[in-house]
Amino acid sequence: MKTASRASSLTRRKLLKASAATAALAAFPAPLIAQTKPFAGVTLHGASFQHRFFTLLQKYIPEFEEKTGMKVDLQLSALPVYNQQANLELSSGGSAYDFVNVTFTLATRWIAAGLLANLDEFTGDANLTPADWNPKDFVDGAQVPYRDAKGATYGYSWEGGAMLMGLSRMDLMEKKGLKIPKTFAELQQVCAEINGTDGVSGMVSWFLHNWNLPPYIQGFGGNIFKKPPGDVMPALNTPEAIQGVEFYANLLKSAPKGVLTYTEDQARQAMLTGRANIFIHSSAWVTPILLSEESKVKDTARVVRSPAGPVHDYPASNSQGLGIPKNAKNQKAAWEFIKWALSPEISMKLVKEHGHSSVCRRSIITSDEYRKLNTVNGQDLGALYLEVLELPGKGENYMAYRTSKEFPIVGDVLNKAFEQVATGQLPAKDAMSAAQDQAIAALRRAGTKL
Amino acid sequence: MSESGIDDERRRFIAFALTPSLIVLFAVAVLPAIYLVVTSLTPFQLTTPGSATDFSDPFRNYALLPGDPRFVNSLAVQAKLSVASVLFQVLLGMLLALLLNVPSRFVEFARTFFLIPMVLPPIVVAVIWKLIYAPDISPLYYAAQALHFTLPALTSSVDFALTSIIIADTWEWLPFTFLMVLAALQTIPDEYSEAALVDGANKLQIFWYVALPFITPILVISGMFRLIDSVKAFPLIFLLTGGGPGTVTEVTNYYAYLLAFDTNEIGYSSAVTVVMLLLVCGISLGLVWMGRRKAALA
Repeated sequence: MKTASRASSLTRRKLLKASAATAALAAFPAPLIAQTKPFAGVTLHGASFQHRFFTLLQKYIPEFEEKTGMKVDLQLSALPVYNQQANLELSSGGSAYDFVNVTFTLATRWIAAGLLANLDEFTGDANLTPADWNPKDFVDGAQVPYRDAKGATYGYSWEGGAMLMGLSRMDLMEKKGLKIPKTFAELQQVCAEINGTDGVSGMVSWFLHNWNLPPYIQGFGGNIFKKPPGDVMPALNTPEAIQGVEFYANLLKSAPKGVLTYTEDQARQAMLTGRANIFIHSSAWVTPILLSEESKVKDTARVVRSPAGPVHDYPASNSQGLGIPKNAKNQKAAWEFIKWALSPEISMKLVKEHGHSSVCRRSIITSDEYRKLNTVNGQDLGALYLEVLELPGKGENYMAYRTSKEFPIVGDVLNKAFEQVATGQLPAKDAMSAAQDQAIAALRRAGTKL
Repeated sequence: MSESGIDDERRRFIAFALTPSLIVLFAVAVLPAIYLVVTSLTPFQLTTPGSATDFSDPFRNYALLPGDPRFVNSLAVQAKLSVASVLFQVLLGMLLALLLNVPSRFVEFARTFFLIPMVLPPIVVAVIWKLIYAPDISPLYYAAQALHFTLPALTSSVDFALTSIIIADTWEWLPFTFLMVLAALQTIPDEYSEAALVDGANKLQIFWYVALPFITPILVISGMFRLIDSVKAFPLIFLLTGGGPGTVTEVTNYYAYLLAFDTNEIGYSSAVTVVMLLLVCGISLGLVWMGRRKAALA
């Protein structure tokens, strides 16, 4: 019975299928199939905050999936939501994500806590990373936050932000015989003299003071901490810090009404419509005065280096990186994705096809195509961007305060103190002395040994 | 079947029917509250491994609270915001209800308009007021300019920031007290005011001696509801002032939010929230007790 039943189950169709499969296997040996779709069946889970880079990248992900055989599940949320989710996921040792955005402000904390995989293990293996991917091509200043004390790399930057100065009404300045300010003193003078002329405010800014203010504190020779990242004792009540706060509060006297609660969009709009003359912020927010179709000041606008302080010339900069959680299930597949997403080819595609200029690969920023696209009215915006982005990687890493894990606490205290000064609630000296005490108390409460 | 048998069966049925709801309620309301209290007894920091289960000094967070100037300030700001907004909402709601308590088709139609702020999502209300308070685009500022009147920057001014929140909160919740008082006014039998009129009482006297005693319990109840709810003015503060300038509009729940979401101090933030919860419960119980005492005396 058994033999009969087996014989009856071997139908003609099954025999044909088996022969076809044998023929296919003979034509394409198993190792070759594996090479063609090396990650077939893998679903890669990644997360980041919503950003134009990822929106653009998503258009190309099907090509990557086709090439590798893996599926990419990329979750994008608002920045604060993402930071909370990722913080919780990584610090609880979870393995839900295979790759993550390493948020600039959280990088040091994640690296110090051992939450990320060492990417040198991938770049150092010629089987995993071809030589032409070239990790050294990433701008050094943008990579500083993603290295540990020994120099090991835990992230590669996909986005750079370099603080530049935009001037919207050079026509007004020229009428008054004013030149582009190169020092703090000249900046103060230009803002004061332009303010109110033709209904234009001297300058504009936005509410995140712990981003806008530190370059002034550092410009006068101060810092947020004594010597970050090693010595994180707050340094908010130093004469230099007080001077920086007073200076910036004075500058904002020539800003539009309500500037303390301005969002970045409001500030940008004030510049695009020529209602404010100067905005010092990341290139992505400043360069639209030259590049955006909405801009009404294209002919009279300039984008230049932000002014230098009497002691230091430390324009702020930042970057965002992609990394792999230590407990990720599919680390090799995740590296494949990062390698592809930050490859010179994709970076150049984003620049050429979408005008996305805040990439961090030096070879792209210095390429002719990039330069051509980012030179407006004779101003080479790419060169400016690269110059500022590189600065923290040359000599002192003056942006180390920003990636110290203590910064969120001290930055919040600094914000409040600055608003008290700017609104005249307290003199700068008193506000910063109180801020120093509060910052120390809050850090101790959070378990920092000072 | 005996009568007690029917009662038992009914009781069992009620228990059976209620059990799923009670389980859900326990899972979504009680468990998180218990977890909040547990977390408040730890120094939980997101990036400090093991801190979520460190109960070595359970009352440390609570001991630190009185010496935290921002926490103490946040309670004072909350008190100012709550008292002022509740007073405005109750008084204006009552005034509006008295004015619109007339049998007219137009008034009935107009009443629905007053409900709009209350049914809008709070974040939409905050966006509306953000636009109203934005000096460069606001119709309020254009109107002031046309009248040759200079308005300060309302949300970033030390003197006006909290007032601007109170105004927006009052606009949003005025319909609630208005509806409550209107409903109470409509339950007053006409005979009372007619009798008062015959006795020669004027409108003010009718309000004082006839209407007010009727609507007083409703005023107290709606005031109590609004007082409890006033600690939830979060979207307005988040969008309009960010707690500033400085700490002028930083209420307790906004401070707790900053601690948890900006500086990652989950344990300390939980302690702040627990204290806030206890205060709200205390005030509510106090008001209920006062209401009962008044009813007993009457």
